[in-house]
Amino acid sequence: MTELPPVSEEEFRKVCDFLYRRTGMLFTEVKRYYVQRRIAERMVSLGISSFTTYFAYLRSDADGEIEKFINAFTVNETYFYREEHQLRCLSSDLLNERVRAKRPGEALRIWSVPCSTGEEPYSIALWLLENWPEVDVQDIEIVGSDIDTECVMAAQRGEYDQRALMRLTPALIGKYFATSGADRWRIIEDLRQSVQFTTANLMNPAETRRHGIFDVIFCRNVLIYFDDASRRLAAENLFECLAPGGFICLGHTESMSRISPLFEVRRFTDAIVYQRPQGGAHG
Amino acid sequence: MPLIRRPSLPSESSAADTTASLTHGTSDERWAAARAAAVQPGGVALLAAALAQERDPRVLEAIFTGLARAGTAQSAAAVLPLIRSHDASLRAGALDALRAMPEASSPHVPRLLADPDADVRLLSCELVRGLPEGEANRLLCDLLDREAEKNVAAAAVEVLAEIGRSEALPALARCAERFAGDAFLAFSIKVATDRIDGP
Repeated sequence: MTELPPVSEEEFRKVCDFLYRRTGMLFTEVKRYYVQRRIAERMVSLGISSFTTYFAYLRSDADGEIEKFINAFTVNETYFYREEHQLRCLSSDLLNERVRAKRPGEALRIWSVPCSTGEEPYSIALWLLENWPEVDVQDIEIVGSDIDTECVMAAQRGEYDQRALMRLTPALIGKYFATSGADRWRIIEDLRQSVQFTTANLMNPAETRRHGIFDVIFCRNVLIYFDDASRRLAAENLFECLAPGGFICLGHTESMSRISPLFEVRRFTDAIVYQRPQGGAHG
Repeated sequence: MPLIRRPSLPSESSAADTTASLTHGTSDERWAAARAAAVQPGGVALLAAALAQERDPRVLEAIFTGLARAGTAQSAAAVLPLIRSHDASLRAGALDALRAMPEASSPHVPRLLADPDADVRLLSCELVRGLPEGEANRLLCDLLDREAEKNVAAAAVEVLAEIGRSEALPALARCAERFAGDAFLAFSIKVATDRIDGP
C-alpha cells in the first residue's frame, strides 16, 4: 500500500481550495484520508516525494497534471440501467411532452452530464431503442460529457465488464454488445456512433454553453459533491442549457428544490423531475 | 439505428457590456450580465448595485449566486439587508445566498440572532448551521435562554435537533420550562433532546 505523504493543515487546505476552485468539488477535513490517498497516488506515479514539490508541479500544470489530478478525484462507479425508473419516465412522459413542444423535424437533444465511462448515455440510447415507440420517427441526439478526460475516452471505446452490465438481460447484451475478451463486452459500432462524447466542467458556463440547448438533461449524483455556492452555479449553467419546458433528472437522493428556485417540480408516475418553466427565454 | 446523428455544437455567444446590460438590459440580458459579472474584477460591486434594483426572480437568483460564489465581506453586506424584506421570495433568496457563503456571513450571525426583529432572528437560526458545531451550539443556547418569541425558539430547537451536542441539553430543558404551555415546542424539544441524548 502507498504510504501517505505528510500533509500539513495548511497544505491540505491549499489543495482542497485548488480542487474546489477548479471543479466545485468540496473536500473537508473528514475526507483528509481520501484526499491524501489521491495525492499519494499522483506523487508516486510522478516519482515526487515532497508535497511542496508536487503542489508546485500541479499549479504549473506541468505535463497536464491538473487534468490528471482532477481525474484522480472523480467517482466513476456506475452501471447500465441505473435508476431505471427515470428511463421509464423518459420514454413514458418526458420525451412525449417535449415532442409536442417542438417543431416537426426538430431533433430531441438529451445530455448526460457527467457521463462517467458512458454507461448512462448508452443506457438512454438502448432504452429508447427498446422502449419508446417514437424512436423510429424522431431524430434524437444524445451527448455524454464528463470532466474526466480518461472517462470520456473510455466512454468512446464503449467497453465494459460484467458488473456494468448486471442490470441488462442476456437478450439485450446479445443485441447491443459484442464480446471483447474475457468477461468484456463492447457496445456495437452503431450504438457507439449514436452518442457523442465531450469533456465538460459543470462549473464553467463557457463549457456548458457550447453544448447548446437540450430537451432533457440527466445530471445524477454529482451535485452531492458540491457545496451550496457551487451547486447554485451548476444549476444555473444547466438551466441555460435547457429549452423552456425541458427537464432535468437528478439522482434519487438529490433535490433541485434545495439548490435553486429556477426549476419547477414535476411529478410523473415513475419519477420526480425538474422542469425549466415555459415562460422566459434562455438566460 | 435511428439515433445516429452527430450534433454540431453551437458557438459561444459574444460577451455583453456587463454594466450597461445589468442596468438597462432585458431580463435575459440582465441574467447573462449578472452571470458574467460574477467572474469579473469589480463584479461584486456591480452585483451589489444591481441587487438593490432588480426584481425579476430569475435575474435575482443569478445575482445571489454570483455574490455567494464571490463569498466576500462585500457580498454578504449586500445581501444582508434583504433578509428584512417584506417580499418572502427575496427574503428566502437572501437567506439561501448567505447560507451559501458561510465564511462571509458567519461574522454577522451573532448580531442577527440578537436582532430586535423576531423574523430576522428566526431566519438567522438557519445560518447557524454553517458555523463550527461548538460555536453553533453556544449561539443557539444563548438564544434559547433569552428568546421570548416561541417561533424563534422553535427554529433554534429545530437546528439543535440536527447539530446539537450534549452541552445544549440544559438550555433545551430551561426553554421547555419557560414555554411549558406550548405543546408544539415541548414536542420539538423532546425530539431534539432524545436525539442528542440518544445512543
